[in-house]
Amino acid sequence: MSRKMSRKMTYAFGAVLLVAFAAFSAQSFNESLTPYVPYDEARRAGERTVQVAGGLLAGSSSYDDVAHALHFTLTDPESGGTMPVRYEGLKPANFEEAVSIVAIGRYDAAGDTFHADKLLVKCPSKYQGAEVKEYG
Amino acid sequence: MESLSQLYLPGAVPVWAAVVFALAALWGYSLVLRGDQAAVGFARRAYGFFTLSIVLSAAVLAIALVRRDFRVEYVFQYTGLELPMHYQFAAFWAGQKGSFLLWLLFGALIGLLVRRTAGKAEAAVMGIYTLTLVGLLFILVRENPFVMLAETPLDGQGLNPLLQDDWMVIHPPIMFVGYALAAVPYAFAMAALWRRDYSGWAARAFPWALTGFLVLGSAILLGGYWAYKTLGWGGYWGWDPVENASLIPWILGVVLIHGLYLERTKGRYRRANFVLAGLVYMAVLYGTFLTRSGVLADFSVHSFVDLGISGWLILMMAVFLALPVALIALRWREIPAARNEDPVLSRGAFLVIGTVTLTASALVITAGTSAPLLTRWLEHAGQVGPSFYNQVNLPLALLVALLLSVVPFLTWRGTPAREVMRRMRWPGAVAVTVAALAFALDVRDPLHLLLVLLATAALGANLVKTFEVASTQGLGGAGGWLAHVGVGIMLIGFLASSAYDESVKVTLAQGEPRQVDDLTLTFTRYIPRQGREKERMEVRVVREDGSELWAYPKLFVNDRTRQVMANPDVHSSPLQDLYISPIEIEPGRREGEPERVLLAAGERATVGGLDVRFAGFRVPEQHEMMVALADGGTIEIGAHLEIAADGAAATSLVPTYAFTAAGAVTAPPAELPGGGMVMVSSIDAAEGRVQLDLWGVPGLVAEPARLSLDVTRKPLIKLVWYGLYVVLFGGLLSTVKRLRQGRRVDELGEAVEAAKAGRARAAADEVAVAPASAREELGAAG
Repeated sequence: MSRKMSRKMTYAFGAVLLVAFAAFSAQSFNESLTPYVPYDEARRAGERTVQVAGGLLAGSSSYDDVAHALHFTLTDPESGGTMPVRYEGLKPANFEEAVSIVAIGRYDAAGDTFHADKLLVKCPSKYQGAEVKEYG
Repeated sequence: MESLSQLYLPGAVPVWAAVVFALAALWGYSLVLRGDQAAVGFARRAYGFFTLSIVLSAAVLAIALVRRDFRVEYVFQYTGLELPMHYQFAAFWAGQKGSFLLWLLFGALIGLLVRRTAGKAEAAVMGIYTLTLVGLLFILVRENPFVMLAETPLDGQGLNPLLQDDWMVIHPPIMFVGYALAAVPYAFAMAALWRRDYSGWAARAFPWALTGFLVLGSAILLGGYWAYKTLGWGGYWGWDPVENASLIPWILGVVLIHGLYLERTKGRYRRANFVLAGLVYMAVLYGTFLTRSGVLADFSVHSFVDLGISGWLILMMAVFLALPVALIALRWREIPAARNEDPVLSRGAFLVIGTVTLTASALVITAGTSAPLLTRWLEHAGQVGPSFYNQVNLPLALLVALLLSVVPFLTWRGTPAREVMRRMRWPGAVAVTVAALAFALDVRDPLHLLLVLLATAALGANLVKTFEVASTQGLGGAGGWLAHVGVGIMLIGFLASSAYDESVKVTLAQGEPRQVDDLTLTFTRYIPRQGREKERMEVRVVREDGSELWAYPKLFVNDRTRQVMANPDVHSSPLQDLYISPIEIEPGRREGEPERVLLAAGERATVGGLDVRFAGFRVPEQHEMMVALADGGTIEIGAHLEIAADGAAATSLVPTYAFTAAGAVTAPPAELPGGGMVMVSSIDAAEGRVQLDLWGVPGLVAEPARLSLDVTRKPLIKLVWYGLYVVLFGGLLSTVKRLRQGRRVDELGEAVEAAKAGRARAAADEVAVAPASAREELGAAG
């Protein structure tokens, strides 16, 4: 094989690697993308990890000390819909005062509950309006 | 825009003056570019006065902060009477407005040095550099930190407690120096394109690119340390947009440094370096846009809220993107391009592959950070989690480690494979041993084992090379290789501390030892606040071998903000860090103390053997209340409770809470079925909640305080820090070397110019030496 040929082969190999990496990145991007969805769509999303957001339905939160699980209901101020959420982990501080909550996880049809792996809790704060804390 | 009377003029006037002087400097330098050499003095003076104005307005803000002049809104918003002096000063960069002023201050001061190093390109370099500062200046005019309040408050709102930390005092300023430095190679590159100087700029921009890399790297190091030690985020890196905003320009800066190295030594990568210098600055602007415009407000933990500068930032990005795109397109064919004739096993080829790999990493991190924007036009916007970044960067890290472990043994001309293998024997043997050790320590993921193997090989190979080079040229010449040693160390640290950390969440009852793996943890006591020392919890940790240590994680409520703050306690040993982070503390109840519950209508609580449900308030009719209030009488509110003792049927009980308009409260205790008493201790009318105190309830026993902790073992995390130290130290050595070379180029340049002038005088009608070729000589000579 001539030197020129081998150079072309090297470039082709590099290009193939780059394309493969781009495809791999795109796939990984799609897999780890957690879209913000309304409650009814979260209920249809199946195993896919999604994010739901809303306010805390007054008086809906309770904490199970034994199982270390937080139960609460999210409510969408616009549609008025609700979504019960279960989060396994320790209870976020000032949780009752949360202005808005983002739950990242997936919907469990059997218990009509959204199982959150992670919570983003936005609490009122005079610093730049609000402060978001991450749990999970 | 605020009206004059709303502005604190000692600060605002210098800002406006800065605008005038900056525009004057731009005008002056544009005159020089059009051939009026005499205008250079005017332009320099204008730039000097611009810098002076910025220094003045920064000084005014600093003085207002230190004097606690709460008339100034910015001072009111970010400081308070009780804030210690160094935080009072650090509040300068606590908000957006002050941050932009700080960035501009560093940018203006750096410009004075840029002018000295720009040589003949001064007018073009300084013109473009000043233009980048004008962009920031207009943000400052829009978001003026010198807005005054109508009345002077007695006290400020205080500094966000998260920011009251020593790391916070130094981390942001260094970050802004790094951001400001990113504009320097950009200005040099654009000026070079403008002036068609395709070889001289690299030597001058090189030390600046290295300095930017050093400073931004140090800032990232400090930020990681801050997040790890103080913020209790559990790690040094969370792939948060704010963190990524500093990482992307840093990685691209590494690429630029390698590109400039290629250009300086082999005359290659000339076109690419123009693109790269543009990309580094664009990455800084784009990162600023993502984190400061509020576009990610729903997605980032610590992104700023929109101040209404998004539009301006987009315009800035458009201008500073259009400039390199237009100039590069215009000059593309002129830029001399060396043909790539290197064999694959050569230093040049490896450098090219390495830069492509790192650029790919920067691009995927940018894509991940931009996910909420990229997915905006889809039905639902979303974001990507850390798993994406870890997944896509792992193959790139493997490739980088592979390249690094081979490149020390490659020459520019190419090295035969057999020779490479021979020289890799020792580092290779060490790497295989370390990988085998990792396997023995339960590292089973083949990709992880491969990373250990390659990273160790990279470490060893570059260490060998560092010694070789240092023994002939002195340590000063081995900076690059030493930095590669650090990369090998860091990669091992990243893998061990992130993929092999063990985290357990435990709840400890006070005084009761609890086994957590091979540790025995006891929550011994709660230490109340003493002066400025915050509330702490004392935890005794006994290791398997009987040795003990005391951990003092902090968990406290900030008095003014009522935010709960958690500070972890980190115990470092050479092989692993024990990271004890508090999550929650329940104070417990002493013998005879009442149990206090807070219930909204419909909620229930278990107290001892009782199930208590709050059905709702019993409120008198509105007109009765009005009458009672008017007569100075009493209003009585009943709390309707349904109480069930251990499975028995619920009985209703309505304890009352009575108050007069004058504020006198009577709340008689009511007897509970099965024994004990209940009393309404408070009512929260706005929230519809009742607070009940119950005591003497059967089954209600004293409860110890409970502390919930996150106990994490992070193996080899020290390697992340040590590796980064080595990388930065290597970078420092290279910076010194390139600074010296840059100076030599200047001297050489003057000599060439003098010779040229002499020759021109001697033979005035001979064809003058083409300036481009003279510069070409310079590039090769450096």
